Amino acid sequence: MPPASAAPAALRDPVDEAEPAPRRRARSRTGGALRRLALPLGSLLLFLAVWQSVAAAGTWSETLVPPPARVWDAFVDVSTTHDGVRGYNGTYLVEHLGISLRRIALGAGLGIALGVAAGLVMGTVGWVRSLFEPWITFLRTLPPLAYFSLLIVWLGIDEEPKITLLAVAAFPPVAVATTAAVAAAPRHLQEAARALGGSRRDVVRDVVLPSALPEIFTGVRLAVGVAYSSLVAAELVNGLPGIGGMVKDAANYNNTPVVLVGIAAIGVSGLLIDGALLRLERAVVPWRGHA
Amino acid sequence: MVSRETDGARPAEDTGRPGAVRLADVTHRYGEGDDAVTAVGPVGLDIEPGEFVVLVGASGCGKSTLLRLIAGFERPTRGTVTVSGAAPRPGQQAGVVFQQPRLLPWRTVGGNIDLALRYAGVPRDLWETRRAELLHRVGLDGTERRRVWEISGGQQQRVAIARTLAADNPVLLLDEPFAALDALTRERLQEDVRRVTARTGGTTVFVTHSADEAVFLGSRVVVLSRRPGTVVLDLPVGLPRGDVDAEDVRGGAEFAALRARVAHEVKAAAA
Ligand SMILES: Nc1ncnc2c1ncn2[C@@H]1O[C@H](COP(=O)(O)OP(=O)(O)OP(=O)(O)O)[C@@H](O)[C@H]1O
Ligand SMILES: [Mg+2]
Repeated sequence: MPPASAAPAALRDPVDEAEPAPRRRARSRTGGALRRLALPLGSLLLFLAVWQSVAAAGTWSETLVPPPARVWDAFVDVSTTHDGVRGYNGTYLVEHLGISLRRIALGAGLGIALGVAAGLVMGTVGWVRSLFEPWITFLRTLPPLAYFSLLIVWLGIDEEPKITLLAVAAFPPVAVATTAAVAAAPRHLQEAARALGGSRRDVVRDVVLPSALPEIFTGVRLAVGVAYSSLVAAELVNGLPGIGGMVKDAANYNNTPVVLVGIAAIGVSGLLIDGALLRLERAVVPWRGHA
Repeated sequence: MVSRETDGARPAEDTGRPGAVRLADVTHRYGEGDDAVTAVGPVGLDIEPGEFVVLVGASGCGKSTLLRLIAGFERPTRGTVTVSGAAPRPGQQAGVVFQQPRLLPWRTVGGNIDLALRYAGVPRDLWETRRAELLHRVGLDGTERRRVWEISGGQQQRVAIARTLAADNPVLLLDEPFAALDALTRERLQEDVRRVTARTGGTTVFVTHSADEAVFLGSRVVVLSRRPGTVVLDLPVGLPRGDVDAEDVRGGAEFAALRARVAHEVKAAAA
């Protein structure tokens, strides 16, 4: 703060005297971090306390509302080998999760790639958009479970219908977001690129696509969310091993603690993936807000 | 009403030379039917290779439309436009500096220049030297890695000029490039443009509102009437060009007389 230190001592801000600006800023940053950590942690503890007391009150049976400790035990059980049984149904929790994440990566990845490609074409060629947009909107309104049976009839019960379901679920949000963003790519920048001698393809690659990136990222996050919420549906049939299959199988045996462990695993991994996507977006789109 | 002080018609074969710009009886209308607006014309203008033509006229008289016609962004409703003997196509014959810098925010300053070099077909191993050269020409050495929103508006406009010079086009079109700048920066850039174009020897068409800017920059000043713009004055400017002191040019009696003449015509044409 050069102006403050240049002023006569009597005029200086006493707080400045006591503590230089950088340290004050650092403290307020840790204050923010505390708030960001403390509040969610507090609400989690409160939730656990309420859960424990509801379970202890015994209004509902343990099958309906198992106490937190039982769920923790279930978590340990499915993560270790106990009484000669490996995890849940011969597979550890992390392996169930890994298999499901692989399905999501393949399925949603495919849907996202196709969605970006379709959006690029639809956003640049008017009649293609008019032709396909109603179909995509229709597909988007369908709950994935509605076409899952059809996929089973067509593709069997192995990996294919699961991957396809996730791809079909992830496709519309990305296609819609990309179409809108590409169609709205700033004219004046496209004109500038053409004036520099860029071809139509150059303009798409160097202006249209980058200008659409922030919106595409929003679409991708939506798509991953939709794929995630379709996971249990995708693993309803022959889903073991897989986290959704595990939840469904445990539900068949009224094994509520394992169901809850599965749900928590799906939720936490979903949050982590969304956070990673946000970070990726900040790294890839540093000009956000400056376009 | 048209006072032509250039020497009559030129031989037709001249218009095919690189850098020649020819507008023959050009009219441009925007829109259809009842909404149609005649923006400019009829305008006839023969520009020789190497000329620095400044278009002056009131707001809305069709100056930008003329530049867009020469750049190939619009096709004339009537008449023909040829640049270097052919119908203009964007990015083929003429470089354009727009009123706003129009830099790509997802590229750094150097990245914006690189894009222009790539489009111009410059081999990749020459980019680094060419980039440094171009930035040096507009006085922005060492700014390659800056983000475009981190530099000032005047610096952005200079980057826009530098990237347009990447292609070595025989024709350079500038649409009020300095309108949004402060007087000091504007004068500096005017001197830069005057020096740069005197050295490269290409054809320049420059649009401005300012009689002062027109006379200082132009080897020829064309004043347009109100919309739809037609040529009301076509005035050669014989002020010394090349490596001369800008103060001397601006301070001379001839400069003052020409400036007064152009200012008067612009005012009369707008009335
Ligand atoms: N895309 C367009 N559609 C319809 N009318 C337009 C369009 N562009 C320009 N015009 C009209 O054409 C006329 C000339 O516009 P132009 O931009 O060429 O003027 P100008 O001389 O460059 O003005 P200024 O000095 O304010 O930039 C104006 O009346 C304007 O409203
Ligand atoms: Mg204009």
